[in-house]
Amino acid sequence: MNNKKENIPAFTADGLPIDRSIKIVKTKAAKRAEIKLNLIAYSFLAPNFIGFAVFTLVPIVFAFALAFLNWNGNTAMTWAGLDNFRYIFSNEMFLASLRNTFVYTIGTVPLTLVVSLFLAIVLNQKLKGRNFFRTVSFFPYVGSLVAITAVWNMLFNPSMGPINEMLRALGVENPPRWIADNDWAMFTIVLFSIWKYMGYYMVIYLAGLQGINTELYEASSIDGVNTWQKFWYITLPQLKNTTFFILIMLTIQCFKVYDIVYMLAGAGSGALSEATTVLVYEIYNSAFRYWRLGVASAEALVLFAIVLAVTIIQFRLDKE
Amino acid sequence: MKKALSVLLIALLSISSAFAGGSRESSSDGTTLTWAVWDYATTPYYDALINAYEAAHPDVDVEVIDLGSADYQTALQIQLSGGGSDFDVVAVKDIPGYNNLVKAGLLVDLSPLAAADGIDTSIYGGIVEQVSVGDSFYELPFRSDFWVLFYNKDLFDAAGVPYPDNDMTFEEYDALARSLTSGSGSSKVYGAHYHTWRSAIQLFGILDGQHQITDGGDYSYLAPYYEMALSQQRDGICQDYATLKTSNIHYTGVFYNESVAMMNMGSWFIASLIAANQSGQSDAQNWGIVKYPHAEGVEPGTTLGTITALAIPAGTEQQDAAWDFVKFVCGVEGAEVLAGTGNFPAVTNDEINNIIASMEGFPQDQNSKDALSVSQLYLEMPLHDKSAEIEVVLNEYHDQIMTENMSIADGLAEMGRRVDEVLAN
Amino acid sequence: MMIESTGQKILRVLLYVFLVIMAAVMLLPFLWMLSASLKQDRDVFTFPIQWIPENPEWSNYSRIWTQIPLLTYIFNTFKLTIIVTLLQLFTSSFAAYAFSKLRFKLRNTLFLGYIATIAVPWQAYMVPQFMMLRGMGLNNTHLAIIILQAFSAFGVFMMKQFYEGVPTELCEAARIDGMTEYGIYAKIMLPLAKPALSTLTIFTFVNTWNDFLGPYIYLTRDSLKTIQLGLRSFIGQYSSEYGLIMAGSVVTMIPVLVVFLSLQKYFVEGVAASGLKG
Repeated sequence: MNNKKENIPAFTADGLPIDRSIKIVKTKAAKRAEIKLNLIAYSFLAPNFIGFAVFTLVPIVFAFALAFLNWNGNTAMTWAGLDNFRYIFSNEMFLASLRNTFVYTIGTVPLTLVVSLFLAIVLNQKLKGRNFFRTVSFFPYVGSLVAITAVWNMLFNPSMGPINEMLRALGVENPPRWIADNDWAMFTIVLFSIWKYMGYYMVIYLAGLQGINTELYEASSIDGVNTWQKFWYITLPQLKNTTFFILIMLTIQCFKVYDIVYMLAGAGSGALSEATTVLVYEIYNSAFRYWRLGVASAEALVLFAIVLAVTIIQFRLDKE
Repeated sequence: MKKALSVLLIALLSISSAFAGGSRESSSDGTTLTWAVWDYATTPYYDALINAYEAAHPDVDVEVIDLGSADYQTALQIQLSGGGSDFDVVAVKDIPGYNNLVKAGLLVDLSPLAAADGIDTSIYGGIVEQVSVGDSFYELPFRSDFWVLFYNKDLFDAAGVPYPDNDMTFEEYDALARSLTSGSGSSKVYGAHYHTWRSAIQLFGILDGQHQITDGGDYSYLAPYYEMALSQQRDGICQDYATLKTSNIHYTGVFYNESVAMMNMGSWFIASLIAANQSGQSDAQNWGIVKYPHAEGVEPGTTLGTITALAIPAGTEQQDAAWDFVKFVCGVEGAEVLAGTGNFPAVTNDEINNIIASMEGFPQDQNSKDALSVSQLYLEMPLHDKSAEIEVVLNEYHDQIMTENMSIADGLAEMGRRVDEVLAN
Repeated sequence: MMIESTGQKILRVLLYVFLVIMAAVMLLPFLWMLSASLKQDRDVFTFPIQWIPENPEWSNYSRIWTQIPLLTYIFNTFKLTIIVTLLQLFTSSFAAYAFSKLRFKLRNTLFLGYIATIAVPWQAYMVPQFMMLRGMGLNNTHLAIIILQAFSAFGVFMMKQFYEGVPTELCEAARIDGMTEYGIYAKIMLPLAKPALSTLTIFTFVNTWNDFLGPYIYLTRDSLKTIQLGLRSFIGQYSSEYGLIMAGSVVTMIPVLVVFLSLQKYFVEGVAASGLKG
């Protein structure tokens, strides 16, 4: 069975069952085997895919169609053509949100990746209290957002927060006003999100590290390879699949950032300024404050296109 | 391990299906009205209203669904979208939300129903006119709050400053706030306090009746009030906006802690303050209210208002029963029930004010009683086709000015430009 | 030799210093949370920060059980979380096997499609999805949340990436031995994927446990609500009970930490490698 599979030329995959009569006997058998293999594969996909397609894919396709329509969620839809896109690209808040989201992503992705890998490697060593340290670094991801953003805002309070009091004690005369200052707000948010998510990605890296064959290290020890070389020539290449996964998920998650920005910068007034607004906040506003679902869909489509482009680039790089 | 888990799972499933079956008790062959509200657990008047209504209509059951406070309007409109409705009556929290529901055709036009029943909308003191679209209105207010100035009498006594009265200009108010500020560290007393809502400062500017906040264009008429607030902030007369905002500092806490001498706030705070004083949560036992400060030449008692209303979703199958309930809650009977809980009904008259003023815990001085009569009420957000969009812009630049990321002049200019953009689209 | 071991000792000490500082940075907010959970609402946000409350308000921990039906909420959340996690583990690990170890038509297209949909923010399709599920009669049922959470592309992607690390020769050998693909999945892949399955369990558990928006839209009846909805209900229009929010947050974090700790043992070096040898 295994041999048959390998004999199948790629192009037969395009044949249709009705053409069977004109094909030679060998291909017929091969095709049966191939159909069977396809069916087996689809049977693996089915439980997840059917649920996913019906309950997620269908609404998403519907939402994309909405990008070319005007709709408020109840009364009749009207054709909008490209009006929604014209509108969002002339809307300075949307453009600001694009800019901020890019800045946030570029600031967050590499740092989170490095920090979480470092943590995973450290906490994969045989250390006393390893479980404690692992659990502690997972804390921020688990804590309720309402509570932890409240604490952060307390700690980083511009006038009375302990962080700035410490800075003043160290001789900094005008410490940054963090989230309250347009120039520092994004930086503060990046800092928060690294703090919150590094434990999360550390866990994925930890799982990835368990997949590395220890014999590789043992063999290299005999050859007198130093720690750094081990990391560079064994650990990193072996973690390729994990890193790729994290890179893509992290990028997507950054482009979709919303609640942490809203809770940190929007506290109180519930409004994000041009300095802190992000894509999903604009989508939320269009959809649920203004009930212009067509505009929200157009904005989501732009987000989707960007992430898709970035993901495809990452896939290409991964293949090379 | 796996077995234990699956057994647990099956047990959970069977218990929960039993739960689901028993969750909705039907009343004995009567009507069940479903009412969407927020903060059900902490708001005593919902049950008071329902009990009063059910006592008068034994065949009706009113069931409450709590959609939460923070995103109430979003949740409500999602539930109603597409015309399907699990609700027969809905509370409407704010004007932008009301506007969205009306635009999407999700509410029943109440004006013909009111006309048929001969309801005199003048008992609402002009509110119904302010929420009308053309000749139609889609909600009836049951609760109407207005802004007053709360003050802590003990802190006035300690500073040796006479209490404020019901006729105070902004200059007098500013001077008073400055004379009341004292101390430092945890014993610091601030003369004034502005909560982070834009209404707390921005809307001082519309009380002269010359401007609508939704007009766009030139907002420089707001500048004097921002100047007053920012200079108080710089001089430590009131707490720093950025601190309040980033630390979630709530106005109730600072007033209860006796760290502010004066605070402009809505009349909803009266009931909370009385309750907190009785439970010992608050130290501000000795307090009073006076009318809002006013600009030169403006009649005292001119203030901001905010309403809570009831509407009937277009998708309900029990429109008549729902209307009957709305009439009761928004009418004189509902108003008396509401006033009995210390809250301000939309139906205003002296009798209702007396009910509140005679509540235990309400200040005994004449000024506090007189402060309850309003001469002119402007909605915090007037009804406008674009009110949701405009509100977002107003909030944003309020924030930018108060955090001093923008100068007052620049902030107001940008505010005008952006509102104009919204209006043009 | 001597010198190197001293160097290593210093390194080790530095490492511990680093870890302790890190732990402090990670824990500080939670210590604050703990202390705030023992305060009155009005004292929660006062400066200077009082780390040890003068008069601890223990009643916060009893009030959270009476002010909202927290027990029901916890029960509901447990039920949803367990069902979703089990379904997610099964469907994801199953589908990922096909993406990773089988060849079939449209494999790459389907896979890219899966991942791409992760990029669509939920806010964009929430309304159509809600209307659809309501049309199916699923509004105000737990089934709605289960359906929304159990079939995520995230799990499929993650499991696939881990399977990729398992040498294909292993599967080939099993095929030659006459094992079916289902057999290979169950007997070879799953045991090797324990660290990945543990990770997915933790993530799905946390996500479902802490999910707010889904239950907020679909579960409006008290008997169905979850913990996060309960916690948010302490934030009111005119006043917020932060003491209770913090107390509730502390209590509801415990199960998640228990799950994390109990799955820790699968993050031990060489699980997969030892599997390969055997």
